[in-house]
Amino acid sequence: MKLAGWVFFALSWFLILGLNVFCFIKVFSKRVIR
Amino acid sequence: MNQPKTRRDTWGSRLGIIMAVAGSAVGLGNFLRFPVQAAGNGGGAFMIPYLVSLVLLGIPLMWIEWTLGRFGGGFEHGTAPGIFHSIWQKNRFIKYFGVIGIFGPFVIFIYYTFIESWTLAYSYYSLKGVLTGLPDQAALQSFLKGFQGLEKNAFFTDLGLTYVFFLVTFFVNVAVVSYGIRGGIEWLCKIAMPVLLLFGIVLVGRVLTLGTPDPARPDWNLVNGLGFLWNPDLTALKSAKVWLAAAGQIFFTLSVGIGVILTYASYLSKGDDVVLSGLTAVGVNEFAEVILGGCIIIPAAFVFFGPVGVQAIAKQGAFDLGFVTMPLVLGKIPLAAFFSFIWFALLFLAGVTSSVSLAQPSIAFMEDEFNISRKKAVGIFAAAAFILCQPAVFWLGRGVVNELDFWGGTFCLVLFGTVEAILFAWVFGIDKAWEEIHHGADMGVPAVYKFIIKYVTPVFLLIVLGAWFVQEGLPTIMMKGVAEADRMFVFGTRIGLVALFAVLAILVRVGLRGRQRRRERERI
Repeated sequence: MKLAGWVFFALSWFLILGLNVFCFIKVFSKRVIR
Repeated sequence: MNQPKTRRDTWGSRLGIIMAVAGSAVGLGNFLRFPVQAAGNGGGAFMIPYLVSLVLLGIPLMWIEWTLGRFGGGFEHGTAPGIFHSIWQKNRFIKYFGVIGIFGPFVIFIYYTFIESWTLAYSYYSLKGVLTGLPDQAALQSFLKGFQGLEKNAFFTDLGLTYVFFLVTFFVNVAVVSYGIRGGIEWLCKIAMPVLLLFGIVLVGRVLTLGTPDPARPDWNLVNGLGFLWNPDLTALKSAKVWLAAAGQIFFTLSVGIGVILTYASYLSKGDDVVLSGLTAVGVNEFAEVILGGCIIIPAAFVFFGPVGVQAIAKQGAFDLGFVTMPLVLGKIPLAAFFSFIWFALLFLAGVTSSVSLAQPSIAFMEDEFNISRKKAVGIFAAAAFILCQPAVFWLGRGVVNELDFWGGTFCLVLFGTVEAILFAWVFGIDKAWEEIHHGADMGVPAVYKFIIKYVTPVFLLIVLGAWFVQEGLPTIMMKGVAEADRMFVFGTRIGLVALFAVLAILVRVGLRGRQRRRERERI
């Protein structure tokens, strides 16, 4: 895999894993359904 | 506005609805369609239009549907006809447009359950070691065609076993929805989604440790397999086709434009958050698609078939990749039967969490607008769906499923998504919409989204709708590529779909009027 391939691969993983970590931390730190 | 006291089912937990919406979104397309689209449209560079479409199209539409659904649920409307009517009461026709929100998921359900049953059957044949024992691509092709009833061969002489698996799958779907939102769909998704993600992670782990299985071909290794999918071809970004493919992928992967999310969100209370929950459901779907889907099928196929082989396989389409290539690939590694089972069980779980969501709008419509019990509504739905599933099962090779997929799974989605985005931003009004989104919100929506939802998303959708109609819609409507002998079947399917739409439109008229009369009587 070329360097550019690694960059796109790593960035995609970073963004999507980051989105999940951000959301789930917030979901579990807030109250459950009202 | 006075909202009636609710007697409807509700979600038991926030994680429950997030998993249910994510379960609806995560389907076969995440693992089969996405990698093929990415590999064929610029590799890693595909992620640029893909992520742009996610931000400008996918996430706004997700928020729009969650908000509209929760709003409609406040009036005890769980489907698009009633929800659209609540938003635009002066317009007598908008409720008929909302028919698409019941028609689309029902039509998809008709053929989707059949395809889902193949994954259940293939899980069984994997465990038995039948699939991984087949020697080559030709044998697996023949097995698939025999199983689908497209040909009689050494593996299958009739549709008997296929039909048994279809019946089991159909029964599982009906059983789940008969237990309602909390006891059925939420229960299923809270178990199935973590298991699905675990199976996906196990498979990714196995693929990422494949290394170079054939020392005689050192270039056929995992890193180059990842490179096949992820090496960017930046010139692809100049192609409108690539941007359209990315927008289409985002649209179809998130289950927006079907009407399912409207129904699911209608079981929320007005004070429940939709912003964070909607975004989390998007996140889970993207995890399944990019992290899992992007690391399984293409890199694994590359390692065993090389760059030329994988190109040829990808051209055969996503189904062949999943049902022919994957068992062949997994047959070449230790514990073949186990990993093949994991693969097809993952697809089955992805399928069943989607198909139950497709059943719910029809059931919710009968419960909400005709005031009938869930059991009765499920019974009517099951009887109607079962009868209408038969053409998809018996005339698969006659173009019936393609036709159903075109109208129910493609045309209706894009059209419905476009109209609901316009309704939300322009008829409901962006200021009111903004206020409605933020009711009970656990996080703020960035202010730029006010502009995106009002202008960018509707324009983006209109462009996608127009371009898609010219590229794919017209040729399909003109039956391009349909064999002469199959034209009657395709035409018959169209007539059937028009009749179904007309029946649903009449039911919407009768249901909404009857409900209005019931409300008036209750007031007196």
